[in-house]
Amino acid sequence: MARYVAKRVLGMIVVMFIVLTTVFIIVRLAPGDPASLMLGPEATPADVVALRARMGLDQPVVVQYFSFLGQIATGNLGQSIFFNQPVTQVIAARAEPTVLLTLFSIVIAVAIALPVGILSAYTRGSLFDQGSLSTAMLAASVPSFWLGLIFQQYLATGAGWFPVSGFGSPSATFFERVHFIILPSIVLGIVNSALIIRFSRAAMLDVLNDDFVRTARAKGMSEWRVVIRHALKSALIPIVTVVGLTFALLISGAIVTERVFNLPGLGSLVVGAVLRRDYPVIQGVLVVIAGLYVLINFLIDMLYLAIDPRVKY
Amino acid sequence: MRIAAMFSLAAAAVTALPAMQAYAQDAKKGDDVVTVAIIGEPPTLDPMLSTADVVSIVTQHFFETLYTFDSHWKVRPLLAKSMPKITDDGRTYTIPIREGVTFQDGSKMDAHDVVASLKLWEKVATRGQGVADTIESVTASDDNTVVIKLKKAYAPLLSLLAFSNSAAAIVPQEDIDGEKLTKLIGTGPYKLAEHKPDQYIKLTRFDGYTSRTEPADGTFGERKQIPAEIDFVPVPDGNTRIEGAVAGQYDYADGLSTEAYDRLEKSDKIKPVLLNNFGWPIFAFNLKAGLMTNLKMRQAVEAALAPNDMLLAAFGDKKFFGTDAALFPKKYVWHNEEGSDLYAQADPQKAAKLLKEAGYDGTPLRILTSHQYEFHYQMAQVAKAYLEQAGFKVKLDVVDWATLTERRDNPKLWDIYITHSPFLPEPALTSLYSASSRLGWDDPEKNKLLADFTSTTDQKKREELFAKLQKMVWQQVPFYKVGSFSALSAENPKMSGVPQTPWPFFWNAQFSQ
Repeated sequence: MARYVAKRVLGMIVVMFIVLTTVFIIVRLAPGDPASLMLGPEATPADVVALRARMGLDQPVVVQYFSFLGQIATGNLGQSIFFNQPVTQVIAARAEPTVLLTLFSIVIAVAIALPVGILSAYTRGSLFDQGSLSTAMLAASVPSFWLGLIFQQYLATGAGWFPVSGFGSPSATFFERVHFIILPSIVLGIVNSALIIRFSRAAMLDVLNDDFVRTARAKGMSEWRVVIRHALKSALIPIVTVVGLTFALLISGAIVTERVFNLPGLGSLVVGAVLRRDYPVIQGVLVVIAGLYVLINFLIDMLYLAIDPRVKY
Repeated sequence: MRIAAMFSLAAAAVTALPAMQAYAQDAKKGDDVVTVAIIGEPPTLDPMLSTADVVSIVTQHFFETLYTFDSHWKVRPLLAKSMPKITDDGRTYTIPIREGVTFQDGSKMDAHDVVASLKLWEKVATRGQGVADTIESVTASDDNTVVIKLKKAYAPLLSLLAFSNSAAAIVPQEDIDGEKLTKLIGTGPYKLAEHKPDQYIKLTRFDGYTSRTEPADGTFGERKQIPAEIDFVPVPDGNTRIEGAVAGQYDYADGLSTEAYDRLEKSDKIKPVLLNNFGWPIFAFNLKAGLMTNLKMRQAVEAALAPNDMLLAAFGDKKFFGTDAALFPKKYVWHNEEGSDLYAQADPQKAAKLLKEAGYDGTPLRILTSHQYEFHYQMAQVAKAYLEQAGFKVKLDVVDWATLTERRDNPKLWDIYITHSPFLPEPALTSLYSASSRLGWDDPEKNKLLADFTSTTDQKKREELFAKLQKMVWQQVPFYKVGSFSALSAENPKMSGVPQTPWPFFWNAQFSQ
């Protein structure tokens, strides 16, 4: 076990090094110039050259690369060109909306998907099963931005139940900010529930015909107990995997949804940083996201140990 | 554990319910807070550093300049006590500074702060750098008087000092560290209270503000500080700005698509505000390298283009655009009709003849544009069709805005790039005519005319010279003014006191009950 964990941690370090180098190269390959964007339309080429020098963007790329690696090694993600703040501080400021959005979305997605998936499997071939599969297919096919715009128009602008966009005024309390998160969470919850429904249904179908389920029924257990206590427990591994990956996807920034609802989370941050060519922020966010992916995958593997005694490392 | 988590979430949802209901019942803002949706996060809050309009809109509330403009774009004093005394040769400006003005950190503003600020402006601001070679010295003759000496007369100086864009903002000299501002502190009616990037910029009333007492006229005159707070909310997505405006979430929303006009008109929570003659779309030609260095080739493009069709594709309805050759609209003193016979020719035969005379060999004409401003792209598509009809091979290079701003600085990568500008108060505020701009319009006759225009202090003579310059623009075609367009904003119908300008300000905004 300890050997396995050590091997995984070493693998994570190698993956992160590859990610760091790739991110650095990709960001530098993209055309565009933060100095030119900052100075605005009336700036002359000479103004741009002068500002690039003041920002240190005229340094050779190799120097910038080693400086970047050196900073990362000390836990420093650099300084944002546009915000003039440490990147860690910029990312920390965006964590709240993204974390809230992720948690609420995942809760909504699981709350929809798990009962529907189980019931679909249990009533395989029924009208409910067909209907839920078609609905899941539809939800998976609907672009989140479209659903977001529709909800915005009818539930926010029309009915006035929710704010249209943003994350609250400067004086907003935590619960008022939560209010801003609900509508985008519903959108993401619906869209992401589709995959979980299909996985839950498939996983449950696999186990519902297993011998141990038949044995449980033969022992006279109630259907509820058979399905939930025995079948569901065995079907959890693929469900946990897909929920974990959905979580990783959401925490890395639901880019389109954050943009539509103007949520100042990690997704909006990375889009804004790309448009502004704020290299340190792009690098910092991508490194954090990659790190989260690697970590969540590791945690999912560890979770298998807890939920399935057959799994041994 | 899971049950506890579910209960916590349910509790959060229940607690959020009253807020939801309150929002449904009353979406308008409090009377003393103005919420303004702007087109995105300003690239900087240093007013000197950027010529982006969004920077001016926000920073003009907490930074002030020596001079400003009234509603007729006439230069009027702001931090200066009065208009300067200018020597007959136009080379020395003696500027009296208002006494009793304090910065938002409580320190008193004097002539030494003004001198330090103007020197910083010369070093870091695009507009300051443009005039730095002309300025011989900036000194304080006493605590309340600044003297600017020029190497030669330069008539646009006061306009440059008055403009809130790449602004000659006055800051405490202690806050200047080399070529940087260490704090965002000015003398404006509001101070920067909190800035959460991409979320909001919160400005609160500056209690130590000393306003001018003249009646408000443009940005000149009394700044009443009516709202207690002004919150600028960056909303980069145009549709989200519209939805927020229609829902009454903002008191003012800037930069809206004209397609939303009818929807805004039907709303009872917001009303459309159409700023006619806001700006002009420009096809900028590369006179440094490539096809467009050939005058006949530029004239061929000019002959081929059909501005009415281009603007119709871009703005959809005649009420949102105008076709006019004049480089300034009618209400400006700079308006004239010189060269207008060369505008809107839409004559492919003439263009083809000019192309033949130019010896065009079929090299693709590269038009650099972007989807950042959809109307640029739409104009480019129509232009492409007309240019191809005349015999050009056209290559549209459609890139994102950041790439465009980089590529346009490399003359090898483009022949025409598409941009736009608001109508500025004075011709010298744009770099388009300058030989050192990225267009590179370096014609000896034009250079002399421009030098005369900037050094002449007699206004009537300047207007005559500008008319000649405009004629030269249409004859030599360094750029092509496609027409003019209106800007659409939205405003809370209960709010008044926000004049129509490309750079709206809110210190006199008030709400009716």
